[in-house]
Amino acid sequence: MLLAQVIVGGLLLGAIYALFSSGLTLIWGMMNFINFAHGEFVMLGMYVALLVVVWLGGGPAAFGFAAAFALFVLGVVVYLSLIRHVMRGPMLAQILSTFGLALLLRYTAFWIFSANFVSLPQVSLSGTLNVAGILMPVPQLVAGVAAIALTFALHLLLTRTTVGSQLLAVAEDRNAAMLMGIRPDRMQALAWGLAAGSAGIAGALMAMSYPWSPSVGETFGLTAFVVVTLGGFGSVPGAMYAGLIIGLIQALSAYWFGPIYKDIVVYALFVALLWLRPQGLMGKA
Amino acid sequence: MKWGLPALAALLLFYPFILTGPFYWDIGVAFLLAAISASAWNIVGGYAGQVSVGHSMFFGVGAYTPLLFYHLWGLPPVAGVPAGILVSLGLALVVGMPTFRLQGHYFSMATIAVAELIRIFVGTWDLVGAAIGLQGPAVGRGWWDLTFRSELPYYYIFLAVLAVVLYTTFEVERSRFGYYLRAIKAGERAARSLGVPVRETKLKALMLSALFTSLAGSLYSIKTGFIDPESGFGILVSVQMVIVAALGGAGALFGPLVGALILVPLQTATNTWFGGGGSGLTYILYGGIIVLLARFEPGGMHEWWQRVAPLLARRKHAA
Amino acid sequence: MLLSAQNVSKSFGSFLAVRGADLAVAEGEIIGLIGPNGAGKSTFFNCLAGDTVPTTGRVLFDGVDVTRSSAEVHARAGIGRTFQVPATFEDMTVLDNVMVGAFLRHRHRDDARESALRIIEMTGLARQSAQRARSLGTPGRKRLEIARVLATGPRLMLLDEALAGLTPTELQQAIALVRRIHELGMTLVIVEHIMEVIMTLAQRVLVFNQGHVIAHGKPREIVANEAVIEAYLGRGHRRRRQAP
Repeated sequence: MLLAQVIVGGLLLGAIYALFSSGLTLIWGMMNFINFAHGEFVMLGMYVALLVVVWLGGGPAAFGFAAAFALFVLGVVVYLSLIRHVMRGPMLAQILSTFGLALLLRYTAFWIFSANFVSLPQVSLSGTLNVAGILMPVPQLVAGVAAIALTFALHLLLTRTTVGSQLLAVAEDRNAAMLMGIRPDRMQALAWGLAAGSAGIAGALMAMSYPWSPSVGETFGLTAFVVVTLGGFGSVPGAMYAGLIIGLIQALSAYWFGPIYKDIVVYALFVALLWLRPQGLMGKA
Repeated sequence: MKWGLPALAALLLFYPFILTGPFYWDIGVAFLLAAISASAWNIVGGYAGQVSVGHSMFFGVGAYTPLLFYHLWGLPPVAGVPAGILVSLGLALVVGMPTFRLQGHYFSMATIAVAELIRIFVGTWDLVGAAIGLQGPAVGRGWWDLTFRSELPYYYIFLAVLAVVLYTTFEVERSRFGYYLRAIKAGERAARSLGVPVRETKLKALMLSALFTSLAGSLYSIKTGFIDPESGFGILVSVQMVIVAALGGAGALFGPLVGALILVPLQTATNTWFGGGGSGLTYILYGGIIVLLARFEPGGMHEWWQRVAPLLARRKHAA
Repeated sequence: MLLSAQNVSKSFGSFLAVRGADLAVAEGEIIGLIGPNGAGKSTFFNCLAGDTVPTTGRVLFDGVDVTRSSAEVHARAGIGRTFQVPATFEDMTVLDNVMVGAFLRHRHRDDARESALRIIEMTGLARQSAQRARSLGTPGRKRLEIARVLATGPRLMLLDEALAGLTPTELQQAIALVRRIHELGMTLVIVEHIMEVIMTLAQRVLVFNQGHVIAHGKPREIVANEAVIEAYLGRGHRRRRQAP
């Protein structure tokens, strides 16, 4: 049942899309800011995983945590040194800031790691499960399940914890939040850390099954844009569903039209979305 | 600065005779091309404040159509220029119409997505050369093929086009359309409340910008005689336009010119220092410059000069 | 009726900011709109100006239904508005700001410029016409907003706290300016907290509280209305009333 396999594969990858896109939509909803370097955060997460395996011989838990942590720190640093200052400025400055950052990160990665595609040499998770005739490689399965769990965890963090409600309060009404004693600056830095961290760990999960090079950041970034638009402005649950849908559409496109077309279809879908339903699944018209 | 403009014009006009030889003429042509495409971007990105990071879509279309007309029908590449413009205008509508009624980010995201979409698609389409690309006539069949051995004729053709672009921008600046563009950039909500037809104005700006960017692409492919998906639609083409305009001063008439004046020699120098494989280092530098601009001086050199010049004048008077 | 709002409501999700608000403004009137903060005045204004589309109800201008029309259409029809927090074009000069307004009625730059200069003269901004808007203080910005919207040649102006934060002298000048504008035939709806402005300028007053109109009538009647005093006017005015 090749089609069923394609569908499952697409959903598993889509879960990872959901994970890194939820961070992007969180920032967007909270600060009305689109991070053009978000794909590079994912790409860096993949390289962190590589370094942990190659230098430290770490397993999935180690490199997953390392990627999350390293990118969390990067996210906070980027917010404090750059984003905080351009947020209140002209649109040109806002867009150029992360667009420039994307170039900086991407080409620095090219310089350090070269343009060659690499894979993660890891042995602990291997093999393939056969469930009702559908073959699922263990790394992909674990990655997909972990991604969905983490996305859901992020959603719970935002909706069920105090910190989460503080983040949402700042998103809703910055001034009112300040009056309640919440520090918007601190919350926004935290949001950037969470967004970058989830992108990083998504990268590490993806590294378990797919080869990559510094160029993948551009594609992931664009994929994230499509997912957050489909999901709806600022909606993490929306990003979750949209990620799965996009992963599915991508897999089916590759299956029906050929691997070259998987991105073309997704980007074309983006344009169609902008024409027909820009608010996406969960957004308001 | 009454003497400024004639002096600049004279300098540009006589440059090939001041600094002679293919090396300097090559830089001159590169400078003009960068200035033309950045000035084209400036109309929608600088004046109207609608930041396109996928302008290569127009450049690439303009670059492909002349060589396509030659490749398919043996026509002189120049014949393909109007077609490139028409397709670019159509693209502008496809991208601008849905996004200009939404918040600004959608437009920026859409530009980069569409540019990428076209780049990948063209790379798979055999009719337009797929990944290999297209070539122009190796040897001209007549003057109309515009295949000159020397850089000099190209220099003057490009200079003429730059003059047209700058003059058009100048006229736009002084017109109602230009005031409306600046109002939209300065405050869309307030502009609306004053009766500015925001969506329509943005679309017009994008279409005008697309027209000139397409023209720039055509000039490029006619001159180099070659185009492929990366050199036409690649993200670095978009980056180049943005950084040249932003460094010099987005929204200022001569901003792109100043930006090109700084970046083209710089790029020539870094390519020499860092070598071929080091072109990655050039883009690390570009990324760094863009981030610094965004953080400290989004208005570019133009804004910086406007802040610094009065202080210098004051010091001169005090001395 | 030049402007009429019928049963206008606006909700944001579950929050009902304006409910069943009515307004009728005849040509040449000056109407005052008062009420505590958060009472829904600005949201109602935005509905009148086309900035927001009401959830229910209708807005009619000169007989034409403009309920769902955009702010641009409202402006072209002849409704002008200023913003509570001044939204001047900071990096453009005072003259250029006003010219943007003037371009609504004049296609050509020279005509727009002439019109703008006349209005700048009238509103007392002549000395600053070449300065960037960002170099003006808040009072200057508020005056610039008035000049700019005047240049669009409206028939009705919605002023949202345009006279707030002024020194006593500036306030008198501003009141005089509004009077002059009114004398030229303008219809005005003014949101204000400053009672002096309302008492001296408004011919009729509407009082907003919690999203709807709780009282309306002549200024003197409103001031004497117990419900209004309780809802809004509060201690300050009461003290003045009780003074000998």
